[in-house]
Amino acid sequence: MRRTMIVICLILTQGTALAAPATYVLEPENSTVGFETDFGTDKITGRMPVSRADLTLDFDKVAASKISVDLNVAGAEASFLFAAQALKGPKVLDAATYPTMSFQSTRVRAVADGAEVQGVLTIRGIAKPVTMQAEIFRQKGYLDGDLSHLTIRLRGAVNRSDFGATGWSDMVGDQVRLDILARIARVD
Amino acid sequence: MVWRNSATGYGAISRILHWSMMVLIVGMLILGTKIADMQPSLANLYLYGVHKTAGFGVLLLTLIRVVWHRISPPPPPIGVPRALTNRLARLVHGLIYLCLIAIPISGWIASSATGLDVLLFDRIPLPAIAPVSEMWERGGFLAHGLLTKALMALLAAHILGAMLRGIKQDGTTERMIGG
Repeated sequence: MRRTMIVICLILTQGTALAAPATYVLEPENSTVGFETDFGTDKITGRMPVSRADLTLDFDKVAASKISVDLNVAGAEASFLFAAQALKGPKVLDAATYPTMSFQSTRVRAVADGAEVQGVLTIRGIAKPVTMQAEIFRQKGYLDGDLSHLTIRLRGAVNRSDFGATGWSDMVGDQVRLDILARIARVD
Repeated sequence: MVWRNSATGYGAISRILHWSMMVLIVGMLILGTKIADMQPSLANLYLYGVHKTAGFGVLLLTLIRVVWHRISPPPPPIGVPRALTNRLARLVHGLIYLCLIAIPISGWIASSATGLDVLLFDRIPLPAIAPVSEMWERGGFLAHGLLTKALMALLAAHILGAMLRGIKQDGTTERMIGG
């Protein structure tokens, strides 16, 4: 699918004059927050639904772009039943007490192959700075230069112990790799 | 075939319960020891389910055996009832029964306290019997491990006693095998 998309991150780095900051809304049914961590020699993978996303993208002045996302922890799914239960249970994300995870960008800057998004990730009520790598694509089926429907891919990693999510540390790795695919539509 | 126990011998039901439980318990001790030492992965995760299912089976068979012995009391021990060996045997048997009830229940408590479902045959959920709590989890698993070690010692004493009676050929071993 990526082959069919034009990498709009080029726009970010080439400084092409485009429209002023534009507000986008999430297409939740086409968006996923994927995660992966180590489980012995295997991997646990899963997804978490996005419950809210506020996105302002400024292709002229990248630093003016803002991303704010809430994730529904209780709706998390994992590659097998016990992993999903453990993930949402009190020893890891504690969905009953902290039903939402959130990310709020603090700085967005263009880099050679896309953008770097710095922000604050809040898990279990604990806020920590994180840096995600971003790529932006035009969605399949839309013409060149049409920025009305975009796909943002954010990738990064966090150590769950930084957020107090220390359960099953003897079995499950500390580093959680995030791969967020958000499909967004411009509010005209 | 005589199903019920008599004044001098064990009926088929008691013998089937005894030997089937022996196989299950020995299997569980081997499996439990393996699980305690293994690095979990997707390839061996099913062993936890097998352990929980078989553990519940041990609990169920023990309760059935206790009830059955109320319905059809086992024969008294061979020899003088108040002899030291018979009193020791009665004590060991009683403690084994206690362990066979307490070990699965402590495992059930500890598993419930982790917040994960306790599933039989990977499908049938058992109700949680403890709050989701690290204290209950640690206490439950500690008791589970200590009681299992106690059971191993009691089973060793039980087997030693059975072997001594076998050497003496007093008929105890024969009536548990052939009735």
